[in-house]
Amino acid sequence: MKIKIKAPISTAIAIGVGIIVLAGYFIPSMDSIRFILLRTGLVLAAVALLVGIINLATVHIKKMGSESENSGYSLILLISLLVTLVIGVIDMVQTYLIGQPNFQMTNWVFTYIQLPIETSLLAVTTISLIYAAANILRKRMNMFSISFFFVTLLVLLGSFSIPPATIPFLQVLRDWILRVPALAGARGLLLGIALGTITTGVRILIGTDRPYGG
Amino acid sequence: MSATGFTGIVVVVLFVGLMIFFSIINKDRKTPLIRPIPAFDKINQEINVSVEDGTQLHVSLGRGGVSGPESAAGLAGLSILKQVIEKSSMCDYPPVGSTGNPVLSILAQDMIRGSSKAVSVSALHKHPSGELIGVTPFSYAAGTLTTIRDDTVSANVHTGWFGNEIIWLTTAGERQSSPTIAGTAELPAQAVIYASASDPLIGEELYAAGAYMGAGKMHEASISAQDVIRWIIIGIILVGVLLNLFGINTNIEGILAG
Repeated sequence: MKIKIKAPISTAIAIGVGIIVLAGYFIPSMDSIRFILLRTGLVLAAVALLVGIINLATVHIKKMGSESENSGYSLILLISLLVTLVIGVIDMVQTYLIGQPNFQMTNWVFTYIQLPIETSLLAVTTISLIYAAANILRKRMNMFSISFFFVTLLVLLGSFSIPPATIPFLQVLRDWILRVPALAGARGLLLGIALGTITTGVRILIGTDRPYGG
Repeated sequence: MSATGFTGIVVVVLFVGLMIFFSIINKDRKTPLIRPIPAFDKINQEINVSVEDGTQLHVSLGRGGVSGPESAAGLAGLSILKQVIEKSSMCDYPPVGSTGNPVLSILAQDMIRGSSKAVSVSALHKHPSGELIGVTPFSYAAGTLTTIRDDTVSANVHTGWFGNEIIWLTTAGERQSSPTIAGTAELPAQAVIYASASDPLIGEELYAAGAYMGAGKMHEASISAQDVIRWIIIGIILVGVLLNLFGINTNIEGILAG
């Protein structure tokens, strides 16, 4: 069965809810309505997670059937998903039977599988970041890239804490860079982002921008 | 109503008023009065390339949802996806989308299916599109790599909420020699994007896609309104600095404190 809400209706609902939630931030008497709508939104987001996981599983089942070179990864993903789901269900049943929280197996999966993998990936990310910083002059040789490269280098040099490599002047320079130009730049960017965020919100509220398919 | 609440309402009303004002005075203007941003020119260029080559554009929307501080970046990414779909109506295949947030995934799928039907794109899916790749930063980045490495993807547009994991996506695009346009609202990730993407979107540029991709007069007007507010903020900061310099601010603080 296909349920399709017509565009003007979905747009009207989105704009109406948006205005009520925004008004709830400014007018204290509308706070309770705002909380009800936000709570409903959170429940819908949780359902969306379930839908997303089912969609993910469906996509990878289809990929396994095709002659894609990545079908092996899809198989691993599906097995991992199934095993984690079974472990979670067993833990939940045990919690229900014992009458107190018991997520030993789930914790084991997170501590001994997910955590080491994510830590390794974080290490790879660090190397990739250093590579990107070193590569910037090859990519774009302009004033901004040159200053980006040398400021990064100065901050890194000023961060050394091993005695032979510690130079007081560099540490003072690093502190100044972080406290004055870097902070000023970050505040400028944040102001721009805040303005962009307000503009996007206003465009959605007045229905000019409809990123919800309406 | 508190002073903060009143200020909030004033800002929103000012924005709406300015947007309406600029959309009226620029109604007959053919070309918008906006500074060029190379990243958006690149997106338009890559859409044309994908139409000619029969390839796909990959738009990754990041991990931002629709209810937190990261929502505006996610919605801006969706807006870019919509523009890309509409502009690539002549293309054999619609763009492929990927997200790390379930709500964004549903919205992206709805948008790709709806817009593809509206512009009569012949084949709906070469890749499954708009799917939820992974809900943690690294699972999302690792899952997106297979799409970036696909030979049928000619360019990558990463717009939304990303953390430092975006380095994986930008360097993967570079290894494939495919152009990478990237923008996010998170500050450390912006530095990463500047260092690693071929065409970075810095600061509020992420939110200006509609004006640069022909989404309508109201989008252009919103950019002008944003500029007016920016000048007002600059003025307030300068006045604040001068007041501080002459020691008047302490008197004002005293008056405000009662």
